[in-house]
Amino acid sequence: MTRITNSMVSRTVLADIQNVQAQLTSTQERLSSGKEITKPSDDPFGTSRALLFTSEISANTQYQSNVQDASSWLTTTDAALSSMSSDAGRARDLILEGANGSFDQNDRDAIADELDQLADSIKTAGNSQYAGNYVFGGTVTQTPPFAMGAVDTYAGNSAAINRSIGQGVTMQVNITGDQVVSPILAAIRQAAIDLRSGGTPGNLGTTDLAALDAATAQLSSAQATVGARENRLTTAASRLQQLEQAQSQQLSDTQDADMAQTMIDFSTQSAVYQAALKAGATLIQPSLMDFLSS
Amino acid sequence: MPSTFVGIETALRGLNAAQAELQITGHNITNANTKGYTRQTATLATSPELQIGPGVEMGTGVNVTGYQRIRDSFLDTQLRAQTMLQGSAQTQEDYLGQIEGVINEPSDTGLNSLLDAYWQSWQDLSDHPEDPGTRQALVESATSLADGFNTISSQLSTITSQTSQDLSLALDQVNADGKTLQQLNTAIYNAQAVGDTPNDLLDQRDQVLDDLSQYGSLSSTDNGDGTITVKLDGVTLTAGKTAYTLSESGGTLSNNMTTPETATITSTQGKIGGLVNLRDVTIPGYASTLDTIANTLIVQTNALQAGGTDVNGVTQTGGVGLDGSTGKPFFSGTDASDIAVVVTAPQIAAASATGVPGDNSNALKIVAMADDATLTPLAGATLSGAYSRLVTTIGSDAQSAQRANTNAGVLVDSLTSRRDSVSGVSLDEEMTNLVKFQQGYQAASRALNAIDDLLSTLIDRTGRVGL
Repeated sequence: MTRITNSMVSRTVLADIQNVQAQLTSTQERLSSGKEITKPSDDPFGTSRALLFTSEISANTQYQSNVQDASSWLTTTDAALSSMSSDAGRARDLILEGANGSFDQNDRDAIADELDQLADSIKTAGNSQYAGNYVFGGTVTQTPPFAMGAVDTYAGNSAAINRSIGQGVTMQVNITGDQVVSPILAAIRQAAIDLRSGGTPGNLGTTDLAALDAATAQLSSAQATVGARENRLTTAASRLQQLEQAQSQQLSDTQDADMAQTMIDFSTQSAVYQAALKAGATLIQPSLMDFLSS
Repeated sequence: MPSTFVGIETALRGLNAAQAELQITGHNITNANTKGYTRQTATLATSPELQIGPGVEMGTGVNVTGYQRIRDSFLDTQLRAQTMLQGSAQTQEDYLGQIEGVINEPSDTGLNSLLDAYWQSWQDLSDHPEDPGTRQALVESATSLADGFNTISSQLSTITSQTSQDLSLALDQVNADGKTLQQLNTAIYNAQAVGDTPNDLLDQRDQVLDDLSQYGSLSSTDNGDGTITVKLDGVTLTAGKTAYTLSESGGTLSNNMTTPETATITSTQGKIGGLVNLRDVTIPGYASTLDTIANTLIVQTNALQAGGTDVNGVTQTGGVGLDGSTGKPFFSGTDASDIAVVVTAPQIAAASATGVPGDNSNALKIVAMADDATLTPLAGATLSGAYSRLVTTIGSDAQSAQRANTNAGVLVDSLTSRRDSVSGVSLDEEMTNLVKFQQGYQAASRALNAIDDLLSTLIDRTGRVGL
């Protein structure tokens, strides 16, 4: 039989009470922080997962903002292309009209003047800006790609601007002016020259019209490209949102405390604590001295 | 024939024995709460018998032959071994807890979040490479990141120097205990030389050994003359009546003998082992991982920004700042302690070498660096991944130190209880003894009374027949 001594009893009671108290403190910490993991040693593997999910969510938020930005850029581009497209349509009408032999030179000059106006209008669209950036200038975003007036020189370059829209995924957002704007301008200017040159402008109905049509076709293809990119962005955005939802859920599963469970733990531990105190008080107090009569 | 008065002597021995036992019981009771006290009992033996005739011996009562400490030295050895493990685990748990506080993860303000914010700023810059505000925001978040590295690095050095301080305090305590052991050895030697049993000095010496055992692996050998030789981690601290001074250097413990004894300290060897391991292995390991991460960030960012050799040994061309500058490094420094942002907002090279203001191709390269797991020094991890691996390592180390401490604590408690069970004072038992010895005393005095009565009859009434 084990001898039970007074110091054993008091040490055991004290150790038990401290043990329960330590558990209570840790549960209390989880309750007040709402977190299952308050320091790495609570769950080293869980901590590394929590860090990973936090970084993923942060990157995801950023990708969504990039997608948003790219989408706005494309909307600006799309609007500009539509305006150019309608101007090109009007120019086509005018060229067809000018090809009509019944007009005299004054009428033709008037048509040529209107074509010049259209060229300016197209260049204005070509100078469209998004957030202070010229969208048709290639990477030359701070100077207008086209100057108003007779000179049509393209001041931009043909470099691509890419946006990062996912981990390791980049997408070109810009259409350069030399691809879409310059050919239309060239076709319109040539038609105006032909109109002003006098006589029956034989070229108008043939080569000029063909040049404009070719340029318009390029414009349409650019519009289609922009549309396709917008679709891609929409898909990317919804995928990113779903991913964020999943990541947030996983983060919460990893690091957030299960409140119901934690509350129950807390109540149980409180009860154990009180029981330990009561038992300790009962156990330590009496000794044989209380019962020996002198 | 024995003397007529022999019974008085016998009764007296009974009274003396009962008194001695009562005395010991009182000693036990008053020391019930004395730390390190070992309960004592009086050893009784029958006194030499008296030959009263051929083959006839008469008992002459009882003698107190000594006072004995009730102690199990096997439990002492076990307890001291566990106390040593506890000393090491507790020290490591304390320090690793501090380090966990320093890295402060998972949180919204830890290095991981700062790193996330840094990448976000680069992404923003790739969206708006020409925007001065975005550039300034990148400089700010890069500065916060550099500050984050600096803070953790300097706090790790502070903690390392704390371990050195604690280590010298621990050695001071060990050396003081060594001196105490020397004094106790001398006192016990002198007492035993004159035939005393200095139980209370022995208790004190055991208590010192218990205290010492938290610092390292303790061994004590009996020299046969009442003194002991005590070695800590195999290095002699006290040999009989001589004390030595222990010192530590570079993980080696040595004493000041003419030919010093030396021993390499291992991590489980008590507080000293724990502190040496923290100072020489654990914390420098964390710091060097952090330095590698910081260095990779510095070298890689600078190579992509200013041109030069990147961490994989590939030559990068670098880029052009908004102000047309080239070759401007982004960070200065080489590790976590001295990383700093030196680039100014316009100098940040978002554009490639041939770039113009709207060019973001160089910024996109840095954005891609966030997910690059081929950076050679990081062994297959991204920068964030390498950091989270460091956090996991710290967490696991802290967790295993906690577990080791809890386990050692449970064993220390259980062994202490077992030792208490053998050596501790049970007041109930002492009370019972008190009653028993009191009755013994009363019984012996009753025997004396009876003999007194007999003698009185003999002396007063003999020869008075018919009076």
